[in-house]
Amino acid sequence: MATNPPSDNLPLSEVLHAANGLVAAGLIEDWALGGALAAIYYVEPFTTYDADIFFIPKDTGLTAGIPAIYAHLQAQGWQVEREHLLIRGFPVQFLAANGLTEEAVREAERIEYEGVPAKVFRAEHIIAIAASVGRAKDKARIEQILQQADFDKTYLAEVLQRHKLKLPTP
Amino acid sequence: MKAEIRQKLAREPFAEKIRKVGQLVRLAKTFPRRQMKRGDIRQKAAI
Repeated sequence: MATNPPSDNLPLSEVLHAANGLVAAGLIEDWALGGALAAIYYVEPFTTYDADIFFIPKDTGLTAGIPAIYAHLQAQGWQVEREHLLIRGFPVQFLAANGLTEEAVREAERIEYEGVPAKVFRAEHIIAIAASVGRAKDKARIEQILQQADFDKTYLAEVLQRHKLKLPTP
Repeated sequence: MKAEIRQKLAREPFAEKIRKVGQLVRLAKTFPRRQMKRGDIRQKAAI
């Protein structure tokens, strides 16, 4: 098995590279970076302890192909720790997308990170997903994006309307 | 922190922001937040 020593830096390019590898291996259809790291693409940096990769499964069964994804990444030296896969000690969650998150993957912004092609959720989808979850930290995330990010208000209104969501009142 | 400084941080390149997240995580692990004990709370209240 390949070695995967812990890293002092956040190994995001390796995470994105691995996600591309899952597409190349035919295990997933598409993917995008979501969660806190996607929010950080648009706002000031803040502490977060994991990466969320949302994927559109190729396997439409109940497991969404997760066992094959785990096996593929473990063969590359990733370790499993509860709901996370670890690369160089950094936890990554692979989450099967559906509904709003599937739309967020399909319409994600294409970027290049340290030479690795990747996709990151649009700010409007991050806001909509946070509105749908509704915890205190999600409300704070919405506030932060509204204050700091450039986003398309019309597109946000369309996403919210399509998914029957409302922004929390301040 | 002032809103304009936060705005400036938000506009930094993604790779630079990720580098800073790595620093924040290392700091948080080096100096974890200590849970306050009851004695600490009483002591604080007495000050």
